[in-house]
Amino acid sequence: MSEYFNNIFYGVKSFLTGMKLTLSHFKNKKELVATLQYPHEKWPVPERNIGFDHAEYNLIRSRLHVDIDDCIACMQCEKACPVDCIKIDSIKPPKDSDFDCGMTSNDTQKKMIVSRFTIDMSECMYCNLCVFPCPEECIYMVGGPNASKHEIDYEFSQYERDGMIFEFADATDEQIKEAGGEKWIEQRDAKINKHEEGIKLEGEVKIAVPPPVTTPVKADESKPVSKTAVKDSGTGELEIKSFNSISDKMCRGIAKKTFTAAKRAGKDQTAMLSDIAQALSDMGKMTDEIQTILDGLPAPVAEHVTEPEIEQKEPESIPVAAESPTIFEMDLKDLNGIEDKMARGIAKKAFIAAKRAGEDKVEAVKNALEDAGKLDTASEALLSSFTAAYSDSENLDPKVESAGDEKPESGEQSQDLPLFDIKDLNSIDEKMARGMAKKIYTAGKRAEKSRSEVIRDIKAGLSDAGKLDSAIEELLNRLETGS
Amino acid sequence: MTSIFDSLQITFSGLNLDLMIVLPAIALMGGTVIFLLMAVNALVAVYFERKVSAFMQDRLGPMEVGILGFKGGKRFWGGIGQTLADAIKLLVKEDILPNDADRVLMILAPFIIFTGAFLTFIGLPFAENLVISDFNIGVFYIVAMSSVGVIGIILAGWSSNNKWSLYGAMRAAAQIISYEIPIGLSLLLVVLVAGSLNFGDIVQWQADNRWFIFHSPFSFLAFFIFFISIVAETNRTPFDIPEAESELVAGWMTEYSGFRWALFFLSEYANMLIVSIVASTVFLGGWLSPLQMFNVLPEAWLFLDGPTLGLFWVFLKAIILIFVMMWFRWTFPRLRVDQLMYLCWKVFIPFGLANLFFISLWELLF
Ligand code: SF4
Ligand code: SF4
Repeated sequence: MSEYFNNIFYGVKSFLTGMKLTLSHFKNKKELVATLQYPHEKWPVPERNIGFDHAEYNLIRSRLHVDIDDCIACMQCEKACPVDCIKIDSIKPPKDSDFDCGMTSNDTQKKMIVSRFTIDMSECMYCNLCVFPCPEECIYMVGGPNASKHEIDYEFSQYERDGMIFEFADATDEQIKEAGGEKWIEQRDAKINKHEEGIKLEGEVKIAVPPPVTTPVKADESKPVSKTAVKDSGTGELEIKSFNSISDKMCRGIAKKTFTAAKRAGKDQTAMLSDIAQALSDMGKMTDEIQTILDGLPAPVAEHVTEPEIEQKEPESIPVAAESPTIFEMDLKDLNGIEDKMARGIAKKAFIAAKRAGEDKVEAVKNALEDAGKLDTASEALLSSFTAAYSDSENLDPKVESAGDEKPESGEQSQDLPLFDIKDLNSIDEKMARGMAKKIYTAGKRAEKSRSEVIRDIKAGLSDAGKLDSAIEELLNRLETGS
Repeated sequence: MTSIFDSLQITFSGLNLDLMIVLPAIALMGGTVIFLLMAVNALVAVYFERKVSAFMQDRLGPMEVGILGFKGGKRFWGGIGQTLADAIKLLVKEDILPNDADRVLMILAPFIIFTGAFLTFIGLPFAENLVISDFNIGVFYIVAMSSVGVIGIILAGWSSNNKWSLYGAMRAAAQIISYEIPIGLSLLLVVLVAGSLNFGDIVQWQADNRWFIFHSPFSFLAFFIFFISIVAETNRTPFDIPEAESELVAGWMTEYSGFRWALFFLSEYANMLIVSIVASTVFLGGWLSPLQMFNVLPEAWLFLDGPTLGLFWVFLKAIILIFVMMWFRWTFPRLRVDQLMYLCWKVFIPFGLANLFFISLWELLF
């Protein structure tokens, strides 16, 4: 019992002691607060002393400083820097001018003016190698032994990286011009402009990026437009090496020769390939083997730029498609359209297994999902879109009903109209949209597409980028009808 | 004592309006005032707490954020905009609901806790005639309402589907329910002596006699039992076992963020204010000035009382008590669970019961 009361007594006592202690700290904050409000208040910099006199130990590692009035632009420091963070531009006045570049404090007559002297302190590693070669001793680290020339600066952090680039040159534009540096100023301004433009461009370029791959089902319904032609033309993936797989020596030679000629003429891949095929069959060397090789060539390119579902049921594009049947192959990435994580995993596994075994991948994936009880309507639709695409490509059946009847008609109707002129697109007001339209136009022209096809491509491309407004649409419609 | 509610009703009745319109209107006004009070209280108290903690630890606390450029002092009391900035930050933060949480309960829980704190204000006297609604059973109402919060805490801990939350909620339940007993026992002393559960009557008793804390040695002890118990009831250090950052991340609040977390925060500081006002009303004379502490001065000297000054005294006393709570917080380390239970069941409750017995004797004898 007494222990109980002792405990309580002790508890109360230590309770009061603790309270007294904290209160004393609370009350004595004037003396006790240890915080230093750093950017507003600073500790004095301690005297630097490592056992030597500054005179004996003439080295400090801190911020670099240049006494630009003394610099004779000899570039010794720039050459010495192991990380190339010093950049010096100088301008030498022409021989006959009487421009005076001034004297250094060592009484050396300066022969040039320094128009730019930047040191990127974020790259500098404080090795001091630039300091020693300077004939005028005008580049040095501040503070320490150099404190008489420049006080110590140990805190030069910045909010932006650009702030770490220190500019020491102080020649005005007038002086530079006087010394005959107009050209240098022009170049500098051009650089600055380019830089600023680049910064401005940043946002816009992002918008111009083609829209993300849509799920196959959607694409079938909403935009049955082939982008194959557009994208193929831009790729330079067809290389001379690609023909190495032709076994017959002579054919290989012919193919390569034609390829080089076509490349020089600046033709695009499709044209190149048809050239090669032409040349080969002219020589009577065209075999089935070569044909398949040639067919196979644009495929790797087309496979990853086109959505496999886009080969769509358009009669017009079938010739293109026929050349590269592989684009209907289901890709592993296409399975990402499956939402359920588990189902996706199963599907991918089955896909790879089927690929290795050379079986029908779609079928295999479907079976695997069914076995796992994960086959829902969405993934089934996804898979069947591949099946459809696949069989389409196999049959190359031009009469696919789902594509609708009007398309072949409109194709026929506009086929007799010649392709309109690229200048017609100039009436599109918006710069970006105009550029895109022209690009698509050129691609379509190269692929020898018909007028209506090209216009459809332009429309699709613009609406994908969200740039299709009513004015442009009207213009395109007018162009289509040829008025 | 006439309450705000009554006086407003009397005012409005002059307009001959339907009661169905008047009542909601009055309720809405009262609610807005309470909410503003809670918000301002949280803003001020958090700032106060940061400064107090900083000074006790030889730091400076927030110094940089000002309101419209006014930082409020260069050396010590700077950064008055800090809590405002924090509040804005909290409101724009992402509101996260864990995938496997019980969504309905998890959304409901902060509102229950908030409602508990909110409703308590209705019966809370800020000064003579300055109480939203004057209950005959004011003390009982407040004790009852302040335990609504524990339901919210348990819900929050359970619905978060997180072991820390659940631990925290269990500890909170154990702690709050335990410490309600010493609170009740201490308040019982007052009720026994003053013979009423009405705050107005209790303060009137103190005006006629003396501050209750000085009534007898037993009431003096009762005040400390009461005060320490309300610190435990509001989950503040050294009784912050339910939140215990170093053990449970944030206890039952672990999974909360954004606005819902802000509600917890608001209620927590509102609870601090509530319990401090109750303590100052019941034990420290409420809206009576310190001149009436022992009730020995002649009537003519009591010039420090009045409606406005009453408000001032209540808040001054409450603020001092809140300061003491902060002082506790930055002095003592957290208790262990067993120490907490020991303190409640083996110290406070026996002492509380003994108190009750002896004060009855005291009343009989004197
Ligand atoms: S100190 Fe070294 S790294 Fe820095 S600028 Fe000089 S040579 Fe370059
Ligand atoms: S070594 Fe000295 S004088 Fe030569 S360019 Fe560098 S700073 Fe100027």
